Amino acid sequence: MAHQAHAYHMVDPSPWPLTGATAALLMTSGLAIWFHFHSLLLLYLGLTLLLLTMIQWWRDIIREGTFQGHHTPPVQKGLRYGMILFITSEVFFFLGFFWAFYHSSLAPTPELGGCWPPTGINPLDPFKVPLLNTAVLLASGVTVTWAHHSLMEGNRKEAIQALTLTIILGVYFTSLQAMEYYEAPFTIADGVYGATFYVATGFHGLHVIIGSTFLAVCLMRQIQYHFTSEHHFGFEAAAWYWHFVDVVWLFLYVSIYWWGS
Amino acid sequence: MMAEDIQAKLKNYKTAPFDARFPNQNQTRNCFQNYLDFHRCTKVLTAKGADTTPCEWFRRVYKSLCPISWINKWNDQLEEGTFPGKI
Repeated sequence: MAHQAHAYHMVDPSPWPLTGATAALLMTSGLAIWFHFHSLLLLYLGLTLLLLTMIQWWRDIIREGTFQGHHTPPVQKGLRYGMILFITSEVFFFLGFFWAFYHSSLAPTPELGGCWPPTGINPLDPFKVPLLNTAVLLASGVTVTWAHHSLMEGNRKEAIQALTLTIILGVYFTSLQAMEYYEAPFTIADGVYGATFYVATGFHGLHVIIGSTFLAVCLMRQIQYHFTSEHHFGFEAAAWYWHFVDVVWLFLYVSIYWWGS
Repeated sequence: MMAEDIQAKLKNYKTAPFDARFPNQNQTRNCFQNYLDFHRCTKVLTAKGADTTPCEWFRRVYKSLCPISWINKWNDQLEEGTFPGKI
């Protein structure tokens, strides 16, 4: 038809789903090749293709929404549903690792000495850096909310300040956690304690990095006047994701760091 | 009085009795706990210089319940100093 008579977005043909699928294939086979034949080439190719796919696909979404006006209210509603469903799937992802942790820690086997933490494991003091990390993420939850309100009130300068502060706090968390990993007296190979600790906190840390990146993209977009006081779903999605990361940390802190010590 | 009780119990011992602390099919913890209790009992009573006969009960129970390979493994670990349980 000459022009669309509905409010929905019929997306133009795009190569990025195919390049993304190809990247997934290259990364999985690349991982297997690395394990068996020590070559990282395929894996690197896959990661590069993944990075290029993400950059270009999301760049195109920004073009379609912000510059071409395709993100009408019904379209935005669909994006909201999508983000919520995605975060829900991530909740289930973490639920699995918490299940693994509680399975092993609630009934510790004789091999561990029948106790938790297992014999020989010196856990991190929950009232030192882990507590600081908790404060950092909680504070970042406040600053991201401050940024949202500034955005909604049309306060450009404060939105930029609050968003920047949120990102700084995210980076601070990541560097603190990296130092903890370096200094910790136990490794991922140290029995089920090490395995559950590093897999759960490791995936969390990865999500902090992803969330910080998402927020950084929002900062760049805010600086470049992409957001209006009424329409800024990209930022809202990033804020939801950031709160989710914070909540996962709270569960990690209480379960693994505090109760688990 | 206690000493006569324990001698009677040991004399009439047939097998490990029901222990309400471990009501389910998986009796691993029952075995491990009695193994621990025997060694803890022996350690404490020997330190006081007292008679370790009461500890015999725990030994009988874990001997009844535990797989022999587990007992051997734990005994080896005790000798090596690598036993993970707290005695």
